[in-house]
Amino acid sequence: MGFFKRLLFGDHKRLHDRESSDPDKEPEHPSSTKLSVNIDYLMHEFHRTSDLRIRILEKGQAALVYMESLVDQEKIHEMIFKPLELGDVEHISDIPNSKVTLNMEEAIQTLLRGHALYMEDGLRGVYQFRVTSSFNRSIEEPANEKVVRGSHDGFVENLMININLLRKRIENRNLTVKYYRLGKKTNNNIALVYIDGVTDPSLIQEIEYRLKYISADMIHSPGYVEEFIEDQTFSPFPQMLNTERPDRVTANLIEGRVAIMSEGSPTVLIAPSTFFSFYQSSDDYNMRWFTGTFVRLIRLASFIIAVCMPAFYIAVVSFHFEVIPNELVMPVKQSINGIAYPPLIEALVMVVIIELIREAGIRLPQPIGQTIGIVGGLVIGDAVVRAGLVSNLMVIVVALTAIASFVVPSNEMSTTLRLLTFPLILLAGTLGFIGITFGFMMILIHMTRLESFGVPYTSPIAPLRIKDLKDTFIRMPIYRMNNRPKDSRAVDKEVIGPSREWKQLERTNNEQQPAGSQEASQQASSESNQSSD
Amino acid sequence: MQTQIGVGVLSLPSDLHQVAKQDGWISLAIAGAVLPVILFCLFLIGKQFPDSTFEQMTEKLFSKWGGRVFSFLYILYFSSVAALIILLFGRMISLWVLPNTPFWAIALCMVIVGLYLANGGLLVLARFYTMVSGLLPVLIILTLFSFQEVHLMYLMPIGESGISKIFEGASEAMLSFFGFFVSLVIFSEVEGKPRQKFIIILLAHFFTFFFYMITLLVSYTFFSTTELSLVPEPLLYMLKSFELPFVARIDLFFISVWFVSVATSYTTYLYIASLGLKQLFRTKSIKVFNLVISLFVYAFTLLIGFDVAKVDRHANVVVYGGYIFSFTIPIVMVVIILVMKPFQKRKEEAS
Repeated sequence: MGFFKRLLFGDHKRLHDRESSDPDKEPEHPSSTKLSVNIDYLMHEFHRTSDLRIRILEKGQAALVYMESLVDQEKIHEMIFKPLELGDVEHISDIPNSKVTLNMEEAIQTLLRGHALYMEDGLRGVYQFRVTSSFNRSIEEPANEKVVRGSHDGFVENLMININLLRKRIENRNLTVKYYRLGKKTNNNIALVYIDGVTDPSLIQEIEYRLKYISADMIHSPGYVEEFIEDQTFSPFPQMLNTERPDRVTANLIEGRVAIMSEGSPTVLIAPSTFFSFYQSSDDYNMRWFTGTFVRLIRLASFIIAVCMPAFYIAVVSFHFEVIPNELVMPVKQSINGIAYPPLIEALVMVVIIELIREAGIRLPQPIGQTIGIVGGLVIGDAVVRAGLVSNLMVIVVALTAIASFVVPSNEMSTTLRLLTFPLILLAGTLGFIGITFGFMMILIHMTRLESFGVPYTSPIAPLRIKDLKDTFIRMPIYRMNNRPKDSRAVDKEVIGPSREWKQLERTNNEQQPAGSQEASQQASSESNQSSD
Repeated sequence: MQTQIGVGVLSLPSDLHQVAKQDGWISLAIAGAVLPVILFCLFLIGKQFPDSTFEQMTEKLFSKWGGRVFSFLYILYFSSVAALIILLFGRMISLWVLPNTPFWAIALCMVIVGLYLANGGLLVLARFYTMVSGLLPVLIILTLFSFQEVHLMYLMPIGESGISKIFEGASEAMLSFFGFFVSLVIFSEVEGKPRQKFIIILLAHFFTFFFYMITLLVSYTFFSTTELSLVPEPLLYMLKSFELPFVARIDLFFISVWFVSVATSYTTYLYIASLGLKQLFRTKSIKVFNLVISLFVYAFTLLIGFDVAKVDRHANVVVYGGYIFSFTIPIVMVVIILVMKPFQKRKEEAS
């Protein structure tokens, strides 16, 4: 019956697996019907590496080849030998879940991906079985992007799991994933993820174009990709957002941005990103919007504090003492008087010490790291003041600066801030307030000159767009952010339709019936539910 | 895009308001009222040649070589204004903030900022101006601190100094609005309809006007007439006397913020001067000319330095140049356009 159905209604075309290589082209190294030739070729190509296992089957008439280090022995048993034992099939070549190829190059590729090859003397086909073993850690919350409320999962080193996390969140056929093989020697898998119909096609084209330009032996982390494709490498500011949080990536994808993921790294790059996107955290959207706004303002204030605070202090102490109100002059003067060094040196030393403590704390194992933090922070801080090397005001200032620089939700931006402190300290030490203004202006000019994939870095402030300010300094209630921000260059504008119209309906209903019968309001709410769908 | 230019224009002349010691707020009001007429002239010129740059305009109006000479003169004028801005800035900084710092360091700051900003091109200029225009409210708020102690009586005998004096003051006051001329030079670089641009330029002008008016009124009502003649920078002296609970000496902050707006005006002059050079030499890159003009301006300012007499002489030259270049020539251009219009029409009909 099935045969006739196919004969009558089918289109008589055989579907092929999606393959990277062109199936019609004659392969460069076709497989041979002679088993020994094939085996010799493989052995030669792999330079007789020790973990290439060749199991001779059927009295030397067939062989199963696999990389011992890449396959799961359990799976080999499950997929290849169990059907034989159970008597479902006569030969290994009859097992249906294998993929046949005549191309030895392809066989080598799949072997490297962890497949097992089955070859038989007298048969040209090479049967590939997917028996890859993989070791994954669980999808825990990333340690450097913790949130109080919200989802607590994070990306891992496996690309498939990462894409799975995204697909689970965006059940939409327009979510498109494109693989790229980058790295001439390492052959890494890079995935470009975007939502078709929302993301600007020219943006995708631009990113694809830049990705294809990469020619390197190794693409070992997103940091590599970032430096290859970002607009300005000579800049302290990161121009692509790095994140390990699926919810953050999802939100950015919906906004019309593009995510670049790579095998072997939990970090995802998001482009284009602006300065303000580094100050948004998924936490903001799980709080009341009042609190969200407050926290965000604090964060942005921390930018100013982290960059300017030591510089400001130095300028005041060494140039503009008159700025300090009368009552404060004496205490400040007292704390500085005993110090042998000029405030400039004092500040530089303290900032460098803080950086040392931080770096040491990261490298050391966790329990010792904390000890170092305490020893460095408390003991050195206290001793240095008592020894009269550094004034206690300076310790306060530097500690505040360090804290402020850690407030930023993005690690890259935080390092940038700490780096920017140094030139400003130097300028403040030489030119006072004018130096700070000068330095800050240079930073601002630099930021306005930056572009991330055709989007101005300071958007929506510098090309001022009042509508998009809803999600920068403040966080407006979510239903108010009904249009996508323009800096993502999204094609599709609207992101939230009328969702709170039930409120108005309720009100009008109440006005119509001052008694306010319960049925009416219920009806209104159900109506609005329909409309919001 | 256009609003940004507008904002750029309004932040332009704020440096000069310290220089022009206005005779009275009425003078300023008159100046503010007269200027739209000239702005309208500029608008007419810009409308006549919507697609051509300023240099092309002059070439069309004054024949090829005449136009080039004019363009060159304008470039000279713009760079000398830039130099004047640096000179005044340097003097102000050394008087108020850093008495011991040598002039070359202060000037170098300005030159570097200007060079870096101007190299970014018009778009970056515009974006930067939008960003720093957020500082203008800060300046205004700082100024408004002094409203606690104003004495409206000081304004009182209105019109005492006589009409001629007031008009003399008005012409002085106009000088502080010289920035408006920039709008003609970058008229063709900005997108949009001429009408829209004109409205934006007007808005920018009125904003500047109101900003001046506020500062002027505050300083006039704070100091009496006799005091005012003794105080060179009334606004700063006034701010100096105030004290917030956490900072004394607001004037230092005021100067720091003011530095930004001075830098923007300097950069604008630098940019239009090198834009002129670029069009004169018909090359693509503007960066070389930015560097050339910056070096020229820097060398020139180093020659003068803190020397007050020389600075004043230079300021006078620039002011008279301003009269010629910003008032006379545009009007002449309009007249020429109006005269030539019928001729051109006849020519077209003939052909």
